[in-house]
Amino acid sequence: MKLVEALEALKHNAAIESPVLQVDLACGFTPLHFLTFLNAHLRAAFPGHKVQIGTGLYGDLPGTLARIEREKSSIVVAVVEWEDLDPRLGVRRLGGWRPGQLAGIVQSARDQASRLGDSLERIAQSGGVIVSAPTLPLPPFAFTPGWQSSSFENELREVVAEMMVRLSKSAGIRVVSSQRLDRISAPAERWDVKSALNTGFPYHLGHADQLAGIIARLAAAAPPKKGLITDLDDTLWMGILGEAGVDGVAWDLDHHAQKHGLYQQMLASLSEAGILIAAASKNNPALVEEAFQANRPVLARERIFPLEAGWGPKSEAVSRILRAWNIGADSVVFVDDSPLDLAEVKAVHPEMNCLLFPRDDDRAAYQLLENLRDLFGKTSLSEEDAIRMESLRTSHTVLDAARAHGYTPDDFLRDAEGKLTVTASKTPLDPRALELINKTNQFNLNGRRITEASWRQYVDDRDVFVLLASYQDKFGPLGKIAVMAGRREGKRISVDHWVMSCRAFSRRIEHACLLYVFRKLEVEEALFDFAPTARNGPLQDFFAELGGGAPGAAFSLTAQRLSEKCPPVHLRVEELPDE
Amino acid sequence: MNDLEARLARCFAAAFPGIDPSVITSASLETEEAWDSVAAVTLVTLIEEEFGVQMDLEALEHLSSFSSILNYLSGLPSIR
Repeated sequence: MKLVEALEALKHNAAIESPVLQVDLACGFTPLHFLTFLNAHLRAAFPGHKVQIGTGLYGDLPGTLARIEREKSSIVVAVVEWEDLDPRLGVRRLGGWRPGQLAGIVQSARDQASRLGDSLERIAQSGGVIVSAPTLPLPPFAFTPGWQSSSFENELREVVAEMMVRLSKSAGIRVVSSQRLDRISAPAERWDVKSALNTGFPYHLGHADQLAGIIARLAAAAPPKKGLITDLDDTLWMGILGEAGVDGVAWDLDHHAQKHGLYQQMLASLSEAGILIAAASKNNPALVEEAFQANRPVLARERIFPLEAGWGPKSEAVSRILRAWNIGADSVVFVDDSPLDLAEVKAVHPEMNCLLFPRDDDRAAYQLLENLRDLFGKTSLSEEDAIRMESLRTSHTVLDAARAHGYTPDDFLRDAEGKLTVTASKTPLDPRALELINKTNQFNLNGRRITEASWRQYVDDRDVFVLLASYQDKFGPLGKIAVMAGRREGKRISVDHWVMSCRAFSRRIEHACLLYVFRKLEVEEALFDFAPTARNGPLQDFFAELGGGAPGAAFSLTAQRLSEKCPPVHLRVEELPDE
Repeated sequence: MNDLEARLARCFAAAFPGIDPSVITSASLETEEAWDSVAAVTLVTLIEEEFGVQMDLEALEHLSSFSSILNYLSGLPSIR
């Protein structure tokens, strides 16, 4: 983005009633054009929001952070440069670069990094924090020639590395990736010494743009994709199984097929991080199973569910996988080496991200791995990530078996020994609640996404209740799968957010949640801030079932109506005490 | 308005968001309330970005109107 484009973008204001995204920028330099780029990128990342950015005093990063601590800002962006650790590491102060001063510079940088880390961790307790480590080159302050790295330079880099290790482990703090920034903003072209000396703004425009862009992405924290469907032949492994046989497929260096092994390694990693992995292959099913058993790929057979092998169109196999996963095509990535199959799947599922596996291009294959990490990357992992695939597989196995034995849904639910565990604790606030609100589509009251800062602000309201429910039955746990949040107003509650994971459908957990909230809060009516979306059909059906017709914009339900319409709920409900 | 004037006018429109397009060519430090130090730095940066030039700091002191900047740019070998 050019500066003129960023300024142009700032001329278009959000509607007056739009929610405000309050951001505080803490940096030691004059923010000038960086502020413009950050504003423009944040507006693009948060459409429909009014972005307001506060700044602090020039040259006083610690002071700005101290003010933000007192005022409890929402999103805080801290851009640290070397001169914030010691002013002698900049070019606008003349404190000296004499050899006798160098150890002192390192020590003062170490002390300052510690203080900044403390301050940022305190701020993160009440709002999201994004931190950028120094992006500019160190000045020629040490006595070694430029091609020799001095101990002082290395100690300073150690100071920063320790600070970033600490901050990246802190809840609520996200650190800008130096590696990604290096790729999109060449380190040698970041520093604008003329501008630094004359205006106090040290960045070339291109660097300011790229750094602001990464920070906006971190602030927006787009939800990752949920599932990946992969082809097998010439994708998961090199070779055509039906032609080469079980022993003829490969994914290692010896067979010049290492990119397939790396791809498997990536999929195994994604699977362990809670991403659903399935396969759709035009193949003989028995031969595929034999290949997995005989060859033990890096991606174990157990990590793939479902595995669709057959001779029908790929799009039909993909449709069956989507039904088994119960998630939308827009949350899924499909990878295949055949442009024809990709086009066929894309025609049927236009929302799906269809990616070519470049079987003849090592460089492009490596880029695919990086692309997959970007599409599926998560800020942190939860307990639910570890059990997602297994719970899904178990549910299907059990339901299939139940249907085969002629069980009715009631028979099945009665025998499942389901238990719903509900917590209303807001301290500490479980990050899973916001994650569910922002990633759930089908059973979602209104489809509204909410920023971490807005969520914290909302939950801090003493009248707001948040119920987080987890489920398990004799077949295993599903983890934390439902959230309801709203306000209690006398004998009525207003529900602002209500979501439930698609893995938890068909267990009457939604009925149990309603019964619980009426009883627990001793209310007679619930008013839901409902809005139909293109995706929340299951919730609309549920409301229609209870209300006797299509729900309106503010769906209302009384305790009496619920008791009349509610089918038998075979769940035991337990409450977790507040911590 | 020739191409040079049009490109410079675009820079002025970006640096002074509220400016009436019809008065851009007559804009100066005296006529534009928003022409403060930050706006001046932004304007210079926009001109450098648009025309791919580095502006001479000494010359900047005399560049306080649309017409003076237009004359300055017209005299640069890389622009002519």
